[in-house]
Amino acid sequence: MKAFLLFVFVLLVTTSVFSQKKYFTRNGNISFNAGTAVEDIDGVNTTATSIFDATSGQIEFAVLLKGFEFKRALMQDHFNENYMESDKYPKSIFKGKIVNIDKVNFEKDGSYPVTVKGTLDMHGVKKDVETNGMLKVAGQSVTSNAEFSVLLADYNIVIPSLVKDKVSKTATIKVNCNYSLLK
Amino acid sequence: MKRLKKILTPLLLLVLAAAGYGWYAFNKKPADVRQQSADMEIKAKDLLQLFQQNEAAANARYVDKVIVVSGVVLSMQTDAEGKTTLSLDTGDPMATVTCSFYNEETAALKQINKGNPVRVKGICTGMLSDVILNKCSLVK
Repeated sequence: MKAFLLFVFVLLVTTSVFSQKKYFTRNGNISFNAGTAVEDIDGVNTTATSIFDATSGQIEFAVLLKGFEFKRALMQDHFNENYMESDKYPKSIFKGKIVNIDKVNFEKDGSYPVTVKGTLDMHGVKKDVETNGMLKVAGQSVTSNAEFSVLLADYNIVIPSLVKDKVSKTATIKVNCNYSLLK
Repeated sequence: MKRLKKILTPLLLLVLAAAGYGWYAFNKKPADVRQQSADMEIKAKDLLQLFQQNEAAANARYVDKVIVVSGVVLSMQTDAEGKTTLSLDTGDPMATVTCSFYNEETAALKQINKGNPVRVKGICTGMLSDVILNKCSLVK
């Protein structure tokens, strides 16, 4: 009887450990484009961190605004000082869930379409966002790809009327992360 | 007529200079951090601790600054575009100092292995769970 209980206990512990399978990256790529026909405005950040739980589908992304790189120095200054106010709001964080995580087989290589719902915290404003993306499983590593748009006004990001032809009212955000299993 | 010319010529020059400066400022590339000298030098372990103790104070002191961080290589990854990210050991199992390198640095990084002591120059962008450095290069 004691041996049986021990067996059950070990089984419970191992399954709960197994269900805690998490994937992590500290060099995620997050880029945005807010350009118009008049001017190309884009920035890229290659040090975003992201973690997700392969069982529950809980997913998080975090990025430092000061880490966005631009083609032009002035663009970076305006981004940090006028638009994002990076000293006041140094981070942007997304917390959400892959709602159809049960459709992803992490034991089998392939591309799986996923839907992510959650809250984007940017420029001191929290708003719900939802987007479709892809999870690509290849052995122990998983790659995520997603693209979505945000309305800058929703996040209290004000575009001065002087440059309103140059800066788009919406920004397209692209996410590309290469995860490895968290041990 | 002569007087008009006297006024117009400097004015024209001034306008040209302003336009030239505007064009220069608009197209100016972000500074190449490899050419800049570091404001300060610190150990990876100490840098993380300063951020963990008081993030706001550490932000004020280190963010946007060119710094040299020394430490031991914990891991290294190169992505599909050839950009290498290196993590420095801090003694904290949950957090490192993450350094994102210029693509041109990849060849020099090939000489580096896990466990090697290195000195990395870059711009500090702040802390997520790790302290992050951008536009990095190896220094002797």
